[in-house]
Amino acid sequence: MLLNLNRLGWWKLVLFGITVLTTAFLLLPILFIAALSFGSSQWLIFPPPSWTLRWYQELFADPRWLASAWTSFQIAIIVTVLSVLLGLATSFGLTRGRFAFREGLKALFLTPMILPVVVLAVALYAFFLKIGLNGTLTGFVISHLVLALPFSILSIGNALEGFDKSIEDAAVLCGASPLEAKVRVTLPAISHGIFSAAIFSFLTSWDEVVVAIFMSSPTLQTLPVKVWATLRQDLTPVVAAASTLLILLTVLLMVLVAVVRKGLKS
Amino acid sequence: MVSHTETDSGRAYAPTRVRRLTDFELTLPALVLLVLFFVVPVVILLMRSVTEPVPGLGNYVELLGSSTYLRIFTNTFLVSGLVTVVSLLIGFPVAWALAVMPGRAASIVFAILLLSMWTNLLARTYAWMVLLQRTGVINKVLIGLGLIDKPLPLVNNLTGVTIGMTYIMLPFIILPLYGVIKKIDPAILQAAALCGANRWQSLVRVLLPLAVPGMAAGALMVFVMSLGYFVTPALLGGTANMMLAELIAQFVQSLVNWGMGGAAALVLLVVTLALYAVQLRFFGTDRMGGR
Amino acid sequence: MSKPFLQIRGIRKEYGPVTAVQDVNLDVAQGEFLTFLGPSGSGKSTTLYILAGFEDPTGGDILLNGESLLSTPSHKRNIGMVFQRYTLFPHLSVGENIAFPLKVRRLPKAEIDAKVRQMLKLVRLEGFEDRKPAQMSGGQQQRVALARALAYDPPVLLMDEPLSALDKKLREEIQHEIRRIHQQTEVTILYVTHDQEEALRLSDRIAVFSKGVIDQIGTGPELYANPATRFVAEFIGDSDFLPCNVVSAGNGRAEIAICETMTVADIPLHGTASSGSKAALMLRPERLLLSKRQSESGLPVTVSDITFLGNNVHVATKTSKGNNLSVRLPFGHEAISGLNRGDAVWLKFDAESAHVFGQ
Repeated sequence: MLLNLNRLGWWKLVLFGITVLTTAFLLLPILFIAALSFGSSQWLIFPPPSWTLRWYQELFADPRWLASAWTSFQIAIIVTVLSVLLGLATSFGLTRGRFAFREGLKALFLTPMILPVVVLAVALYAFFLKIGLNGTLTGFVISHLVLALPFSILSIGNALEGFDKSIEDAAVLCGASPLEAKVRVTLPAISHGIFSAAIFSFLTSWDEVVVAIFMSSPTLQTLPVKVWATLRQDLTPVVAAASTLLILLTVLLMVLVAVVRKGLKS
Repeated sequence: MVSHTETDSGRAYAPTRVRRLTDFELTLPALVLLVLFFVVPVVILLMRSVTEPVPGLGNYVELLGSSTYLRIFTNTFLVSGLVTVVSLLIGFPVAWALAVMPGRAASIVFAILLLSMWTNLLARTYAWMVLLQRTGVINKVLIGLGLIDKPLPLVNNLTGVTIGMTYIMLPFIILPLYGVIKKIDPAILQAAALCGANRWQSLVRVLLPLAVPGMAAGALMVFVMSLGYFVTPALLGGTANMMLAELIAQFVQSLVNWGMGGAAALVLLVVTLALYAVQLRFFGTDRMGGR
Repeated sequence: MSKPFLQIRGIRKEYGPVTAVQDVNLDVAQGEFLTFLGPSGSGKSTTLYILAGFEDPTGGDILLNGESLLSTPSHKRNIGMVFQRYTLFPHLSVGENIAFPLKVRRLPKAEIDAKVRQMLKLVRLEGFEDRKPAQMSGGQQQRVALARALAYDPPVLLMDEPLSALDKKLREEIQHEIRRIHQQTEVTILYVTHDQEEALRLSDRIAVFSKGVIDQIGTGPELYANPATRFVAEFIGDSDFLPCNVVSAGNGRAEIAICETMTVADIPLHGTASSGSKAALMLRPERLLLSKRQSESGLPVTVSDITFLGNNVHVATKTSKGNNLSVRLPFGHEAISGLNRGDAVWLKFDAESAHVFGQ
């Protein structure tokens, strides 16, 4: 009854009403920012008195914005590659292994996901101050890798657990060496998990603020740190322009995911 | 095909023992990374809370004894609790509606949920800073509707933090709840109806109890995430309304007081881990990380 | 038969304190269809996995054409296998699946194409080469798996309950296919199943596994007519067991007393028994005669239920001691007409159709 659309009666209207309002609540701020980034008002008055591309021009004229975006991109790509490679190795070990403390190890690998990021940020900051990794690309990569790895292990681990080991065994009996069987059969079969791992790892690093705030130096900062620093001073519409580009990137990424998922399915 | 060498076949024999070792070895690189750059730094930080400036529990006495810090703890728990309750109240009907909606409509809602989740956290927080400011759209609309005369102070206080955090946490409660409700067999509710339960009784006595494990797990996750949140409270709460994560950052960044920073971090860690232990104890591991 | 084709010599497998396979010895002739029959956990699958090289035996050896297989890794054993679960490579088409072992062996393309066509013809799936596994039914998938396992002409084909995921009708259909393919290719097949009907239908010989050992090896009729152990008697065909006392025993024969009222002599004896010891008497429902007339030589029982099963009628009876005995009679048999629940009847059996199992 309650789970049958046609039997809900007027309850249906209430449920759908709440859903529509919630959906609007989730969507409107995003649309609003996109609209404001083209508005002429310095004070972000809505609706804007007129439309302009001025904030985008300011954004692209400032080399610090571009430099921080490039830094973020570099870090995110390196983190994605390392996270997927480590995630693959770790997931194979955890899924296939039969050693005693496997469950404990699994829990340890997932802890960075549930611990408050600020604790890791402060701890790594102190540690990196001592060993001289603060404000370096390596420092960023290491700290983002710690945060991204659990997502990678989860995605690939799930895919691998859903993959029947017998299929790999069949490939081995067909004459493929164990490594060849993994490369030619197992990896293509779990490609959706690898893809998710890559997307999650990229987003984790690309959007990460808290650790980055501590890790950054005047000469090396990521895009989120640049946004953060700007926001701490004032609510300039340049941030609206930057945010809109970030939203556009998210939409593109979602489309990519949808297309790839479809491609992987067929 | 049969021409393999002595050493080749000799090594391949007894692969069971070799394979087990390799499985563990495969996890070693990640393990080293995590121990070196996660376990060790966190332990060092926590150690400093009892060694700096002088050995002892002085930092904890100060942290838990002063009214300034007590207010920060209260703020943190109050906002987290409020965010959790509001998310749950909104999230349950939405998850329920999603579970009964026709596929096409549901996929639109899902797309918006994902878009909101995946959009840069700072971009979303920035949007709320603009929306909630004194001259912002929300105040303008409320004045325009004649509901208020003067703009409400919606930002730089806990109201702003609660709104912004609820916005961020909603998808985290809707998605797992949707999973739980979707798994409930509609036949169970048909059976309840045949047993004579009306819709209200079916909801209170059947659907809600069946959804409680999912609700509790989702709520606990949102609560714990809120406790340690840094960015949104810092930007929407202003300097006067600090939360625990900001306090830790401030101890370290502005005050360079590692002892107090470590102590506050330990408090946050202990609360977080204790709540996760509760979750594991009562709801198993399957909700952890969405599995 | 000069030298056996495949020899399994004293294979043991222990997992810590648990012994999965105790001591399996077996000779298989070339071209034979041999089935490992047994309940789950009886060691039949473990033995098959040792043959495939996925498990290493704790002791023993496996010889193919007189040469040990154990030092050869799985992918060089050149053995074919069809698994219980569907193991087609999900990202490859049917044709690419069958071509996989040939590509791994780096055969020329023309040869691969010809072989794929030949295999598709063998399993009667011509025209399916471009389908993806997900677009095929379970039965079709297992036929492709069979084609893939035979594509490289393996000397031995292992099949691990390949039909257990299929429904009954489809299962029978593919059993016929397997028989036909076996006759056509003359490949040696080792087949694992827990389904006695499947084993009887397919095999030249059956090895009955129980608790990690082979209880008996033989053709279906041999196992049915002359079960070596109580377990084999229970597993092949239907049977009931009555506790009995041994009056005398010797030369593989025993005289026994049942229900204190009746003695029967010259029953085949398995296991050890001596005068005065307890034993179990096995009776097959289809070998019992039922009579409504009282007789000295009959075992008195009470009818507890009568079930109509199409061409058979099943009569459940109870002895005076409370043991259950089933009788199966053809539909329309005169002994059944007018028979009711609660009636007293007398059962007779031929000594040769019964078996006594000692301790």
